[in-house]
Amino acid sequence: MTIKIGMLSFAHMHAHSYAACLKQIPGVELAGIADDDPERGREMATQFDVNFFPSVETLLDKKLDGVIICSENAKHRPLTELAAPRAAHILCEKPIAATLADAQAMIDVCAAHGTKLQIAFPVRFSAPVQRLKAILDEGTLGRIYSVKTTNHGRMPGGWFIDKALAGGGAVIDHTVHVIDLLRWFWDTEVTEVYAEIGHSLLHPGLGIDDAGLLSFKLATGAYGTLDTSWSRPESYPTWGDVKLEVLGERGIVRVDAFNQNIALYSDQTGKGQWVNWGSNIDLGLIQDFVDMIATGREPFITGYDGLKALEVALAAYRSAERGEPVSLPLGEGGSA
Amino acid sequence: MKRVGIIGTGLTGSMHAERWAQLPVELAGFYTRTPARAQAAADRYGGRAFPSLEALLAQVDVVDICTPTPSHKDLVLAAAAAGKDIICEKPMARHLRDAEEMVVACEKAGVRLFMAHVVRFFPEYARAKEILDSGRLGRPGVIRTVRGGNFPAPDTQNWYIDFEQGGGVIMDMLIHDIDYARWCFGEAERVFARGLTFSDVQDADHVLLTVRFQNGAIGHLEGSWAFPPGNFRTRLEMAGDGGLLEVDSLDNPPIKVTLKQKETDLAAGVPVPESSMHPTDDPYTREIAHFLSCLESGDDFLVSPRDGLEALRIALAAIESLRLGRPVDVTTFEEEGPL
Repeated sequence: MTIKIGMLSFAHMHAHSYAACLKQIPGVELAGIADDDPERGREMATQFDVNFFPSVETLLDKKLDGVIICSENAKHRPLTELAAPRAAHILCEKPIAATLADAQAMIDVCAAHGTKLQIAFPVRFSAPVQRLKAILDEGTLGRIYSVKTTNHGRMPGGWFIDKALAGGGAVIDHTVHVIDLLRWFWDTEVTEVYAEIGHSLLHPGLGIDDAGLLSFKLATGAYGTLDTSWSRPESYPTWGDVKLEVLGERGIVRVDAFNQNIALYSDQTGKGQWVNWGSNIDLGLIQDFVDMIATGREPFITGYDGLKALEVALAAYRSAERGEPVSLPLGEGGSA
Repeated sequence: MKRVGIIGTGLTGSMHAERWAQLPVELAGFYTRTPARAQAAADRYGGRAFPSLEALLAQVDVVDICTPTPSHKDLVLAAAAAGKDIICEKPMARHLRDAEEMVVACEKAGVRLFMAHVVRFFPEYARAKEILDSGRLGRPGVIRTVRGGNFPAPDTQNWYIDFEQGGGVIMDMLIHDIDYARWCFGEAERVFARGLTFSDVQDADHVLLTVRFQNGAIGHLEGSWAFPPGNFRTRLEMAGDGGLLEVDSLDNPPIKVTLKQKETDLAAGVPVPESSMHPTDDPYTREIAHFLSCLESGDDFLVSPRDGLEALRIALAAIESLRLGRPVDVTTFEEEGPL
């Protein structure tokens, strides 16, 4: 039996990697690409040797087993609402949405149709991160005091800096991966966030937040920080990082999740580059999605996981506006 | 030649003595409250053991104060009254009021006071500041620092771990990077801290501090006395709208010796970074040579008494934030209660 998966939008660059992963998993068919940018959609369809569908509905008519949504954040909800009645499995790029109301609506529409909604948090499939999870599960560190984290990146430009489409800048973009990991590690929630956010701080005239420092408490009693800044310049040897330092009573574990690199110096590029040779985290994510479809089990990463990670990012914006720590869960008006 | 007297013969006093011995000064000797320790230092580094502070002050031109923080004020006041120029170990004092008194006393007496914030003299930190000042990073945006080691051994340096005397990891470790960050990014607007200082944890201290600077830039400063022994680490990252620099003591050590061991032999006491430099580039030598050179030339010190005072203000505001669980405005911060 072939598992047929369609891709809805290539607005998010991760779509390229997900499509390539689909193509290399046996028993999976990339059934087609729909995109509200026809030029981009046709180009991608040609590249991956599949059909382009001018409308989402015509692609959904192909009796798909699942869809992968890689649109702009604000379009996750309308695409999910279109797909939920007709595709039994949805993998949606992170963050789940730009607002909590949209996130909840996506969860609700999927529940109403019995559609399984998974959120794309591929860092859960990083081998060094999984090793950290195992160390934590073994209790090797004893009582956990703190977790200091970063998810740095380059300034991505495009719709990522359009508040209407993205919901925010660096903070919404780079809060959710790490917060999802922490929730997963300890089966816990963030209970309080304080944030210092910089607007156009690293990119003059950008018009949106491009730097963020979150300081938070977890329900476990541990405290932590997360740097979400787009502080890696174009000349940096790689795109960014995910780093986690877990401090406990018996020691410290430092994870630099993408630090499996060849240092390359080529006069062709004019700068040093780190060429990663680590395991492909996106392949782990896509294989997991396919496995969920094949076995009928529940998603490993749920819509609720996506919503709770988003809530922390929105709480960070609220904290920065108010200049004080914000308690979670957020009450009414949780949107940024 | 200037005659130098060192007060305090602990870790810092010994490190300074070793450097003074290499400079063109007369190391007159030591005073400390335990006469045998002053004698031991004199035997090792030269000079004599003075029986009293007054005896030392009568025989020197320059005083190097390397004692526990709470005694800095009285010693600075005494040295200033005696007309001596002063180098004083960080933090300047345990409380703002004391530091303010020290500044006023030195101004009134017309003596020079240099605050030994040695990180500014570490070659990698000095070079990073040069790069920032050269404009290659553009406008300052985000600074991140790490300074961490193991918990000070309770038997050797007890005052370090007594919060009332030492002020915990913020006053001992983080204040280095507070001073450095302020030097690089300018005055702080507000701070927010989370950490172990006021927790139930007895054998570790650790703080993650966020800073908003008055120019809009932000900072994340980690100070740790919670790492396992043998894991001293410093790290610096500065990002601006034109670039980024990173330097980490864990990366690319220029020399690494790995020996077979029957059992681990971990150093006790307070961890101190190794910097594997030629003697003239050693940060403590550079710091003391700078002090000496400014005394002779009349040039301004790289670290002014006000710098010492402002670093202390930020550190105390950070402690206040930790205590309250709220951000603290540095510009209006005042210590409360009887000091």
